[in-house]
Amino acid sequence: MLETFNFRVILEYMPLFLRCFWATLWLSGAGLLGALVVGTLACGMRIGRFTLLSWAAGAYIESIRSTPLLVQLFFFYFGLPSLGIRMSEAATGILALTLNSGAYMAEIIRAGIQSIPHGQVEAAVSSGLNYLQRMRHIILPQAIGVTLPPLLGQAIVLVKDSALLSLISLPELTRAGQIMTSERFMPAEGFLTSALFYLLIYYSLKALTHWSQKRLIYMQT
Amino acid sequence: MIEFKEVHKWFGELHVLKGITLKVAPAEVLVVCGPSGSGKSTLIRCINRLEPIQKGELIVDGMRVHESKTHMTKLRAEIGFVFQQFNLYPHMTALQNVTLAPIKVRRIARKQAEEEGRRVLAKVGLGDKLHQYPAQLSGGQQQRVAIARGLCMKPKIMLFDEPTSALDPEMINEVLEVMRNLAREGMTMIVVTHEMGFAREVSHRVAFMDFGELIEIAPPEEFFARPRSERTRLFLSKILTH
Repeated sequence: MLETFNFRVILEYMPLFLRCFWATLWLSGAGLLGALVVGTLACGMRIGRFTLLSWAAGAYIESIRSTPLLVQLFFFYFGLPSLGIRMSEAATGILALTLNSGAYMAEIIRAGIQSIPHGQVEAAVSSGLNYLQRMRHIILPQAIGVTLPPLLGQAIVLVKDSALLSLISLPELTRAGQIMTSERFMPAEGFLTSALFYLLIYYSLKALTHWSQKRLIYMQT
Repeated sequence: MIEFKEVHKWFGELHVLKGITLKVAPAEVLVVCGPSGSGKSTLIRCINRLEPIQKGELIVDGMRVHESKTHMTKLRAEIGFVFQQFNLYPHMTALQNVTLAPIKVRRIARKQAEEEGRRVLAKVGLGDKLHQYPAQLSGGQQQRVAIARGLCMKPKIMLFDEPTSALDPEMINEVLEVMRNLAREGMTMIVVTHEMGFAREVSHRVAFMDFGELIEIAPPEEFFARPRSERTRLFLSKILTH
């Protein structure tokens, strides 16, 4: 079997893979950043005191979680232009990843925040800290410690989901495998190489969490 | 300093405070005792509106706490609150715990706040624990940090909600000692506790609550020697002989 596996062609296509690896990195990175911002905001609205905002955030979270990412992506890519809203492929891809992952992150952050004992809030309220100060200095720093592992899990899902962006012809890792397959008909070499690059990202993210968790050891009370 | 006028509070159907009328003078130390569920914790939690009241008037340091339009943040800065479970911030060192509110609420410069934090932590006997996290401290030490956290705001009133109930017996005294010193310095204090030795020695008046009512309030000599109500007598006989 290995006789037919062509390493030389992989080397030949390496520049393409590296370019596409970079594309996956920055598309996912931008999506992740956006998802963290959107997720934090949506979570804040969801658990906040304003009913209307809470309802809107709930509707957003529910509708994203109940529909496939592929449908959302196609809606942004084909649907929005038909409504007169035009964006580049990259912007469409990042938007889809951001909104999709943001909904899941909102729920993860909410679980983290609600895991903080109520006594923490009472202590902060008693010393005169206002809502934003309590969030910023008491709740979020503790919630981050609890939510880091599930957030990392969601980040990994996001990176893997970015493979769907190949369907809107963004040159990212999965697309690189497709290109190699269609030009040379070498699907084993092509997609295995894509997979190895995904593995690399996965292990980097895992190492990052491990490192940050060691810095959060004091949370183990 | 603190005035309750016919204060009522309900938790849903449950009537937890039934028309409390009570006045606490500046520099007074009031101990509140009573069986669990009698409403004594709720009583002091109303003072900084951790619990809102539904009926009556509650005036603290000239501010009308019972009116929902009263802005509480400013008043809360003037009231230190010590919890049974300490509620220290686990992600901050002792010094960070005591300086957070002075820096963020009082807007004191960090350096100055830290100087004051060091001084107060030294005063409660923790000058060598400034950079320890709560998890690294014993219960008694944690509760002393919690008291220091209140004191660093230079409050006018300190409220204690069963401050020694979660402590191992050998640590109770180190916390009471800090509170004794505080009382001697003329702090206005309301202490919910079953430490009758502390009540006898330090307080100006002792109040007994049962079923949401203030049954009896008297100076400690009188309260312990000649309790007027049968319920007070029964309660005292139970906790003093246990």
